[in-house]
Amino acid sequence: MRHLYRVLTVLGGYRAQRVMGVATLAGLAATVVIGLFVVPPDATQGDVQRLMYVHVPVAWVTFMAFGVVFIASVAYLKTGRIVWDRVAAASAEIGVQFCALTIVLGSLWGRPAWGTWWTWDPRLTTTAVLLLIYVGYLSLRKVADSPARRARWSAVVGVVGFIDVPIVHESVVWWRSLHQQATVLRLGAPTIAGSMLATLLLAFVTFSLAYGYLMAVRLRVGRLEDRSAVPVSSLSAPRARRPRPADVPASGSADLPTSLASDGHA
Amino acid sequence: MHDVGYVAAGYTVTLVTLAGYRWRLAVRTRRARRYVSAVTGRARGGRRRP
Repeated sequence: MRHLYRVLTVLGGYRAQRVMGVATLAGLAATVVIGLFVVPPDATQGDVQRLMYVHVPVAWVTFMAFGVVFIASVAYLKTGRIVWDRVAAASAEIGVQFCALTIVLGSLWGRPAWGTWWTWDPRLTTTAVLLLIYVGYLSLRKVADSPARRARWSAVVGVVGFIDVPIVHESVVWWRSLHQQATVLRLGAPTIAGSMLATLLLAFVTFSLAYGYLMAVRLRVGRLEDRSAVPVSSLSAPRARRPRPADVPASGSADLPTSLASDGHA
Repeated sequence: MHDVGYVAAGYTVTLVTLAGYRWRLAVRTRRARRYVSAVTGRARGGRRRP
């Protein structure tokens, strides 16, 4: 947990954010150009298979985002530190965007490949349930009346809701499915051509970077929104404590009150 | 050739979603910063308002 917290602190730095933002843009440009114009079309599916270079990495980021929600929720329940709740909320929000995008991209692929926009296939259905679980998670965060209760309730949902992630992944193995089986994340060698695999790996890295970048920005927004949600009374009367020499501003500069600047404990 | 439309739509939706979410986060950041500044009476740069 401490290592993950340290990673998040480094990623949250302004310089790291800029580097990730630029790398994400470059990666997206490369993925689009290579995915659309460089890699040859699939022998059976033709050009529509090019959707794989966005659909599969987006689905991967969805799993990763909800995995982070799970880890942060466990960390919150264990330590009670509100920063873990903030991490879980940020990751859930990004995960929901990516999960919805996964379904839309799958639908765009399904129409020409299967002849339908949607079918109640195990993979599609469990993914839709996954989206609903985390939309519920975000809705729950809106209705809880105190930050501590909100954090506790959503941490429980964040832990329980993650159960659906392995179910989605294994659904094509456990049940008869229209959806193709795993070609990369499987036991044995990947069943995919070298150039396609390289492009897919580039897209995996790019979308993981995009997730890291969005997480860093979203965590900063979360900190600011938590500050702005604090009652006005506590803002005007910061917690009294003995002043230290370092606290005295040299040229009238000051930061937020200490009660707001710290992450605090629930 | 007909499939190219689906592929183009997929890539466009992906890029628009990422850009749209990033833009939304920028709006939320600005709004929260404005609120914190207004309530604390301190500008973002750390200077006290007159």
